[in-house]
Amino acid sequence: PAPAEAGRAPGPPDGGWGWVVLFGAFVSIGFAYAFPKGLAIFFKEIQDFFGTSYSEIAWVSSITLATTYGAGPISSVLVSRYGSRPVVMFGGLLCGVGMISAAFCTSILQLYICVGFITGFGLALNLQPSVIIIGKYFLKRRPLANGLAMAGSPVMLCTLAPLNQFLFENFGWRGSFLILGAILLNCCVAGALFRPIGASPALVKTLETEEGKDALKGKTTEDGPMESKPEEEGGKDCFEKINQYLDFSLFKHRGFLIYLIGNVLMFLGFFAPIVFLAPYAKHTGIDEYSAAFLLSILALVDMVARPTTGIIANSRWVRPRIQYFFSFAIAFNGACHLLCPLASSYTGLMVYSSFFGLAFGMVCAMLFETLMDLVGAARFTSAVGLVTIAECCTILLGPPVGGILIDTFGDYKYMFIKCGTVMVLAGTFLFIMNYYNYRMLAKEEKERKTKEEDPKSVRTEDEGKKNWNKDSTQDGPELEPLREKGEGVKKETNG
Amino acid sequence: AGFIKSPLSQKRLTQDSVELYCEAIGNPIPEIQWWFEGNDPNETYAQLWDGARQDRVKINATYNLHSTSTISIANLTGDDSGMYECRASNDPDRNHLSKSPKVKWIRSQANVFVIERPEITAQVTESSGKLILSCNMSGPHPTITGHKWIHKEKILEQDENPGAFTSYTIDGTREEHSGIYECVYEANPQIKGQVNISVAPQVTAYKASEHGNEGDTGVLTCKNPSFPAVTTWSWYKSGHGLLENASGRYIIKSSGNKTELRILKLDIEQDTGDYFCNGTNSFGTGDATVNLRVRSRLAALWPFLGIVAEVLVLVTIIFIYEKRRKPDEVPDDDDGGSAPLKSNATNHKDKNVRQRNAN
Repeated sequence: PAPAEAGRAPGPPDGGWGWVVLFGAFVSIGFAYAFPKGLAIFFKEIQDFFGTSYSEIAWVSSITLATTYGAGPISSVLVSRYGSRPVVMFGGLLCGVGMISAAFCTSILQLYICVGFITGFGLALNLQPSVIIIGKYFLKRRPLANGLAMAGSPVMLCTLAPLNQFLFENFGWRGSFLILGAILLNCCVAGALFRPIGASPALVKTLETEEGKDALKGKTTEDGPMESKPEEEGGKDCFEKINQYLDFSLFKHRGFLIYLIGNVLMFLGFFAPIVFLAPYAKHTGIDEYSAAFLLSILALVDMVARPTTGIIANSRWVRPRIQYFFSFAIAFNGACHLLCPLASSYTGLMVYSSFFGLAFGMVCAMLFETLMDLVGAARFTSAVGLVTIAECCTILLGPPVGGILIDTFGDYKYMFIKCGTVMVLAGTFLFIMNYYNYRMLAKEEKERKTKEEDPKSVRTEDEGKKNWNKDSTQDGPELEPLREKGEGVKKETNG
Repeated sequence: AGFIKSPLSQKRLTQDSVELYCEAIGNPIPEIQWWFEGNDPNETYAQLWDGARQDRVKINATYNLHSTSTISIANLTGDDSGMYECRASNDPDRNHLSKSPKVKWIRSQANVFVIERPEITAQVTESSGKLILSCNMSGPHPTITGHKWIHKEKILEQDENPGAFTSYTIDGTREEHSGIYECVYEANPQIKGQVNISVAPQVTAYKASEHGNEGDTGVLTCKNPSFPAVTTWSWYKSGHGLLENASGRYIIKSSGNKTELRILKLDIEQDTGDYFCNGTNSFGTGDATVNLRVRSRLAALWPFLGIVAEVLVLVTIIFIYEKRRKPDEVPDDDDGGSAPLKSNATNHKDKNVRQRNAN
């Protein structure tokens, strides 16, 4: 179907309806990232109501975050099977149901389930498909699209914070949860905008399986197009079934592994400084409102930084070397943290917040873009799921480890030093490994070109498979879809 | 028998209390007695019992592995000065009236000096936005080696001057710094004076504006952080006069520094409004206002329904719009899918070129 698509539409449209989809992704991603943070306003009241300690309430946030990241693979599997639109709409519905039922909770445990698991899972079903569909709608302008979509997070956070405060004062926490549930249903609207593009995933899988045993992922033979796949549990190995939707062969993919290791390392020091910025400011004697203002500065700079980074990453000079830009952004982040202990006055902290906002925005804007660039839009669905579940652990570990450092030494600077070091290490690692990766890709590209000149070698099935693999690892964005389609044609004719 | 611990000599002020501790060991376990000899030249030793001296004497003894005994005397006077003796014996004949014991009672002595408590004049003066607390010791007193000022168990200031006068300055007003302050004179024994800053109750509300849901219980709280504590609290509702505890739906719980008004089964009409809490002590009264707003149970329902309606409308519009455009979009995936399978095209590049041109 890919070449047929090329016949009808010129690959990803890079515009037109894509901008509408981008807006939907903006809303969806915004809710997914900003919502758990925005809930913090209600915690004091809920704590008093249920008579629990602060750490028990904080678990609500942690569970939501953990579920949102941990359910990534499930989200990926569902998107592979059903496409982005149904998954996001279902996710929005789930979020809404979760929050509405949370409004009627009578114990903290029920809150964990309703807000933590149900809403968290719904947000996970929002986050992944939104990121995936950007890859389907944009190619030439993809970094820009990613930057704009990720800008949803700070914008939503800035809107949700005062909104939550307003709702809380007027309706109490139960009424607010009810209304927030309704607001989350707007994710369904965002999802409705995600018009499917490209062949439907089921169709693609059917055609691939029709080729029989030669198929790339080694699926068992099935007869008949549509019905066979999801229903037939019988002769299939469970692992193979999962492998059908979630591409574990990614773990052999060099670029993917580099990204995975680098990012898992990075997230260890990514979120902790934000969590501890306000307490650190108060610790140095700054009053509460000024400390909160620091976070506002961070969010504002972040809001501007993300689309700007998208534009820069999209430019002719940066895009082929986007991985270097990403590593630089991470190392820049780390440098900011390392320099933070030197800033003791309020102005110093304001400067730190601005630079931190800038660095944070840069990294976030390119977070998924670089993965797409490494793995290609086709395998991105599975890649993002596998990456988020791996990141889940370090994301959750980051702030508590920072907290332990602060408690043991009684000084915030060790936490900043730890975060800074981790991120500088991650940045350097990514830089070096991507340099190696680029060279290997250039080499493979050369080998491929020489083989392509030779018409005999492309006949064999093995050759076809190898080329398919190489295609997936190809960068060079302009050429990617055309190559893939070309190879797709080869494969199909071979089958 | 032998002493493990002997009582220690001590100096005390009048009205203070003193404790003497004695421990003895032996086989069998010895008995411990306390004897006292006053400072008068013709006084002789007399035994002390638990409850002696108008119940100011308390003796606590345990006889487990070894004997321990503690004697404490409260509210000391000058007559309590003298020699206190801890006597122990484990001779079975020790208390026999006719036989004299083979083993004498072993004795350990401690001297207790009770010194007349010197008078301390405590004063608080206000001048130009500052408060000056001062203590002045008059009459005979032991040698002073230093001073300390203590408030709420925290040391505010200390020095090593020997004077009888000591003062401490605070920036602010009486209302801001009410409480009990102690001026401590380092000497043998330590002498403490007390300076009180007393004001009328500085009553404030925990939250000036409270919310409650219809049918729930509303809680309004006022507190008084100043010194001295409030003796009487009262609650008023504008237009209703005084609210009584346990009358109707009101429950009032009060303590010296806090009062809580609970209203059961909140009603929107009756209970919304301003409430006044009033606290009185011997120095005056103070009050605060708390505003209560009662939310209807369904208050949140209307925005909720509104937003859900908006979501449904938008989703419907989007899907209708898409259905209208569908004829353009039917790419006939089946056709497209089957095309390459049917063809035997071997020249892939040409096919690509063809497709590109088709765009």
